[in-house]
Amino acid sequence: MENNVKIARIQANLTQQQLAEKIGVTRQTISLIEKGKYNPTLKLCLDICYAVHKTLDEIFWVEKESGMK
Amino acid sequence: MKKIKDERLILKNLQNVRTAYIIQTIGILGILGYDLFTKGMEGMRQNPLWIVFMITTIVSVYLSMNISVDHESSEKSPKKGTVLSLLILTAISVIIGIAVNFTNGFGILDGLIMGGIIFVCGLIPILYIRYLRIKRQEENLDE
Repeated sequence: MENNVKIARIQANLTQQQLAEKIGVTRQTISLIEKGKYNPTLKLCLDICYAVHKTLDEIFWVEKESGMK
Repeated sequence: MKKIKDERLILKNLQNVRTAYIIQTIGILGILGYDLFTKGMEGMRQNPLWIVFMITTIVSVYLSMNISVDHESSEKSPKKGTVLSLLILTAISVIIGIAVNFTNGFGILDGLIMGGIIFVCGLIPILYIRYLRIKRQEENLDE
């Protein structure tokens, strides 16, 4: 799944490691989410949103046609 | 060692456990199959691995009932299903009981015991399924 985690993370001035520590996951998980290779649970999505001060919509919303790879 | 909190790693860990379980089961089946060939049915049953295998199978069947109840597409009435299952189970137990009774070397008592054992063994999963269905209905009512 495509998402805007990477953009939001850079805007919040965080590295993958810092974001990972903030949420309590490993850096690899953040990396996989950014690449769209891991489908996070809603709870983790929310944690990411809180950490970068964005809404779910801004980070994870994708239009129906382009979203499904 | 720290406790793993990363959900992706927890999931991965579960998948690893599944792989290990598959390999273990293949191993157990291999050993039991070897026993079956070399020592016959009785020899195989004397192997403690047989009990391990049976218990695992029973546990896995009970756990999968949780899934099959959720998977049922139509809302089955728990009462109707239970009554039907009980009727069939009673019929099977009675038939087997009578059959044992008329087998050479067995008496009425053996027939009663055999039928009773089969009835009790069948009763437990039926009651469990009934409990699961009632629980699911209650969950649906909350919507």
